[in-house]
Amino acid sequence: MIGNIKQKASGWLVNVAIAMTALRTNLMRSILTTLGVMIGVFAVTLAVAVGSGAQVSVMQSINALGSNMALVFPQPDTGEGGRRSFDRGRLTMRDARAIQKQISGIEDIAPQLRSNIQLIVAGRNASTNAVGVTPGYGKVSNLVAASGRFISEADVRSAARVVVLGPTVARKLFGDFDPVGETIRINRAPFNVIGITESKGSSFGNDNDDIALIPISTMRQRFSGDTLAGPDDLQMLFVGFEDGVSLPQAKREMTKLLRERYRVRGKDINPFTIRTTEEFMKESAQVTGIFQIVLVAIASISLLVGGIGIMNIMLVSVTERTREIGLRMALGAKRSDIRNQFLVEAAVLCVIGGAMGLILAIAGGTALTIYADFPVPIGIGVGIGAIIFSAFIGLLFGGYPAVRASRLSPIEALRSE
Amino acid sequence: MALVETQDLVKNYELGGETVRAVDGVSLSIDRGEYVAIMGASGSGKSTFMNMIGCLDIPTSGEVRIDSIATGDRDGDALAELRNQKIGFVFQQFNLLARTTALDNVAVPLIYAGLGNEARREKAQAKLEEMGLGDRLDHSPAKLSGGQQQRVAIARALVTDPVILLADEPTGALDSKTSEDIMQIFQSLNDQGITIIVVTHEAEIADHAKRRIEFRDGKVIEDVVVNNRRQIQT
Repeated sequence: MIGNIKQKASGWLVNVAIAMTALRTNLMRSILTTLGVMIGVFAVTLAVAVGSGAQVSVMQSINALGSNMALVFPQPDTGEGGRRSFDRGRLTMRDARAIQKQISGIEDIAPQLRSNIQLIVAGRNASTNAVGVTPGYGKVSNLVAASGRFISEADVRSAARVVVLGPTVARKLFGDFDPVGETIRINRAPFNVIGITESKGSSFGNDNDDIALIPISTMRQRFSGDTLAGPDDLQMLFVGFEDGVSLPQAKREMTKLLRERYRVRGKDINPFTIRTTEEFMKESAQVTGIFQIVLVAIASISLLVGGIGIMNIMLVSVTERTREIGLRMALGAKRSDIRNQFLVEAAVLCVIGGAMGLILAIAGGTALTIYADFPVPIGIGVGIGAIIFSAFIGLLFGGYPAVRASRLSPIEALRSE
Repeated sequence: MALVETQDLVKNYELGGETVRAVDGVSLSIDRGEYVAIMGASGSGKSTFMNMIGCLDIPTSGEVRIDSIATGDRDGDALAELRNQKIGFVFQQFNLLARTTALDNVAVPLIYAGLGNEARREKAQAKLEEMGLGDRLDHSPAKLSGGQQQRVAIARALVTDPVILLADEPTGALDSKTSEDIMQIFQSLNDQGITIIVVTHEAEIADHAKRRIEFRDGKVIEDVVVNNRRQIQT
């Protein structure tokens, strides 16, 4: 039994040795053929990795938003295709308070106004996104002050000229110096820097730290101008829920509440839109999934071309070595011996190409991660998968030539020139 | 006891829409230990006959029995096994694998016999030493003379200890001096009890055999014991 297994293993090793001799004999041809598989495996591996990198990246950016959250914004929700009864969306502070009071399971809410602002200090300036917030913002978006403090209730009540800077803005204006307590000018008005937020990294090339937070009341008074429909309007409301709350259920309840407040009837379109992080995740997973499939499909074309190259060269090899095949048959080779010999030869070509393609893909992925700040994870699974897949390509495209070789008649093969 | 037996052996070829009868009803019996020369002009059917008793070609009708084994009902793989175990082939053009050492060339039949690496090397080396090539184990065919290449081929034919050695014009590509060497090897192999069948069109080569069978137009026209057999002094 053990002897039998040993013989079998030795039979395969012999085939690998025969394959190596054959491939060395036509070295240039082997290298060029391998190149096709190498490019194919490189493309497919990188496509898989970029796809999963995109998935990781999107999930990170959604998690950066806050994990269990609903976003409400004043934009007519055209999703259902009903009758439009509002020219523009509405969402007010009173709506926000009603939601907080009447919907259960809410941890905190974060009403917001947003605007682009110019910050200046000591000759340096920076332009960034300002968010007018309440203390709830920190809790809902998992944002804490790394230094100093966050916007307080008192700041909001008094419309204080205070600002909490994101690390990127702070670095632009102050370098490595801790700016807490310094005064900067925002659109010409002096503001006191009261804190620096913790870094939330970047997602999809979007810097989450390029941000400045000021009290929502201050924002309304100074920077919102006439962009809002009413004195109480919001541009965005984050509703953070406690763990274990069903987001679809909460969304239904919020929708019902707001529809009542705006007296939306029947199939009429809502003047607001509610989206949950759960929905974002599902949609993103779908989008990145399709993105990955498309990428891999395109990359697979190059692998297909590489595989056809393998088949072509194996057919040439079989034709060239017809006499050798006849000889081997005369000496006792069975059909399966001949078939396996050529299958192994094709598989060896492909695995060598696949290994080189994998190394290239790892190099390419690392370069993307470093220079494009885009995660391209090529794990052991992907690596082993790539090698097994290349062997499979060899067997697939080497199959026809190998079977053809094995079906030759011994005497005709032996007589061929 | 008959080692090779044929009964009404026929082989037809289709050539340009015409049926050519290459072997036409040959019944022969060759015993263990014989040394047979099969002669005939080209096209006489001697090579076709040889290919059929070597189980390389399938008869159109009739029967070939090797060592009492009927070959007619055996499939390709079973015939391959039979060739591997019972028959050793020597070809005119040696048919050695290029870029492969003498040792590895001789070991090829043992791969298909299912032997492991160690056993293959041992047996192949022993056969090459018997052929006086113990110092040429690692030489590729390109580095060997014609006579040496044919001796490697003979070692390969004998490495599975077959009962029959089939040689198709074994000296056709060799000069007369080297041909004598090869004939001497055949003679000593026959002396050791190996049955040898040589296909040749050279009378001098045929004269080494004990029995001469002549083919013409697919039929045996002469089957005689060789008188005044050429014996090489050893």
